[in-house]
Amino acid sequence: MRLLLDLRNVSELAEREQLAREADEHGIWGVVVTGPRGGECVEASAIATATHHVTIVVDVDGNDVHPTTLAEEISVLDQITKRRTMIIFRGPSRSKTSLAALLGGLPVEGVILSPPPAQASIPVYSPEDIPETNLPEDLTQLAAIVDEYRDSQAAFLIVSWERSIKQLARHAVGRAASTDFPQMVADMADQIDPIDQ
Amino acid sequence: MDMGIGLWCLQSTATNPRSFGQAYQELVEDARMAEDNGIHSLWLSEHHAYYDGYCPALMPAAAAALAATESIQIGTGVLLLPLHEPHRVANAANLLNEQSSGRFHLGVGMGYRPIEFEIKQRDMSQRLKLMNAGLDALHSTTQTPTWVGISSEKAAERAGRRGLGLFISGAFSKDVVNTLIRAHRTAWEKSDPNQDTPPPVGLLRNLWIVDSPAERRQALNWVRSSYLVYAGLGWGADNTGVDFVSQIETSMDEVEKSATVGSAEEIAAELDGYDVDLVVCRIGYDQPPRTALTEVIERIGRELAPLVKDSGVKL
Repeated sequence: MRLLLDLRNVSELAEREQLAREADEHGIWGVVVTGPRGGECVEASAIATATHHVTIVVDVDGNDVHPTTLAEEISVLDQITKRRTMIIFRGPSRSKTSLAALLGGLPVEGVILSPPPAQASIPVYSPEDIPETNLPEDLTQLAAIVDEYRDSQAAFLIVSWERSIKQLARHAVGRAASTDFPQMVADMADQIDPIDQ
Repeated sequence: MDMGIGLWCLQSTATNPRSFGQAYQELVEDARMAEDNGIHSLWLSEHHAYYDGYCPALMPAAAAALAATESIQIGTGVLLLPLHEPHRVANAANLLNEQSSGRFHLGVGMGYRPIEFEIKQRDMSQRLKLMNAGLDALHSTTQTPTWVGISSEKAAERAGRRGLGLFISGAFSKDVVNTLIRAHRTAWEKSDPNQDTPPPVGLLRNLWIVDSPAERRQALNWVRSSYLVYAGLGWGADNTGVDFVSQIETSMDEVEKSATVGSAEEIAAELDGYDVDLVVCRIGYDQPPRTALTEVIERIGRELAPLVKDSGVKL
């Protein structure tokens, strides 16, 4: 399971960029961003410019927009992010089908994206495909929650977290990825290399 | 007048194939370089469903350039408004301005390629109606500086009546340009006589700074070859009145004639006759090597911009 840090409710761009940089630095798999309707890829592009590695998961509103227009925006974004784009799509299922096909490099009603996405295929999910949770400060409780989602075979987990990103990375990324996470190593690391909150 | 540069189209053309990743990376680098050299603005251009990936979504591209810079203005020259949902455009423009402390300019135009309307299921014969409805929607939802790409007096008047800026095509003579500007200004004055500051006027020019006859010839060849891109775009458009195939050499000759190529002093003298607030130097051709593009960006900012600083609007 891969962790996606939720930045959608962080109000200031500067803070979102800083958190995204920290996620980038400490190996969080993805950050979730959004914007006003039509501005989602603008926000994602700004975050992409501030980062190098982290996946930019864009929560987009697909209502009242032609799916080709949305696909063009996302395809350009994928060129800007250098293959780091992933989509959470909210809107009509028919539009989602068209969008996913276009972002997979396939023609829809004779249209094929130009430029194409940088990735072979940009993943498109619905909100219900990816669980979300607020992770608690208590590391024992955090471990139990991450274990629960991981063991339920979730591919991704969107997490809200208000403490150090490095601490999230230290205690949750490896645990989310593996059933044999050595908690002792993370706990010892907290003693050897304490993290300022 | 201010000096901007354009048009960044982010293509991979048949004349100069490249990776799109490189094109978007260079947009960010070029915006930084232009900023470092004191250039006022960088302008992007839009088309859809063209073989070379001509940028179909300018807002994310503008966001990348704005996020990577601190002072340069970034504009769309132009976004094809009838092909978009205006409220989404307004939301994106407002966000860009919020994130960049007001450095985004929204240039809009109507579009002319049938395929672009077809793929968005829009009726091209209704494009003026769509454009006006779009401008009405923008008026009520965004304070973003808005410019209208025009090529006729009627269009200039429409922009003037709305109090919107003009973005004038690069191939017109000085007389035609100043006629368009007068039509714009007169319509603006009649629409609201109480306003003090007229809406701005921007002029796109094919332009290159050179030091020798050989460099001049080279630059003019780049200008000519750039026309091929537009001939290709027009190839499938049946309502432009131009036969892009049989008239290619004639059209290239005309584009060459309208180009402003010379020393910085010669170009400044030529531009002095235009009553405009902004000249967008069209240097985003696909033929010049990167070193030549870098050099001309530096020279526009460091040599030409200071010479034309006090030129411009006199109407």
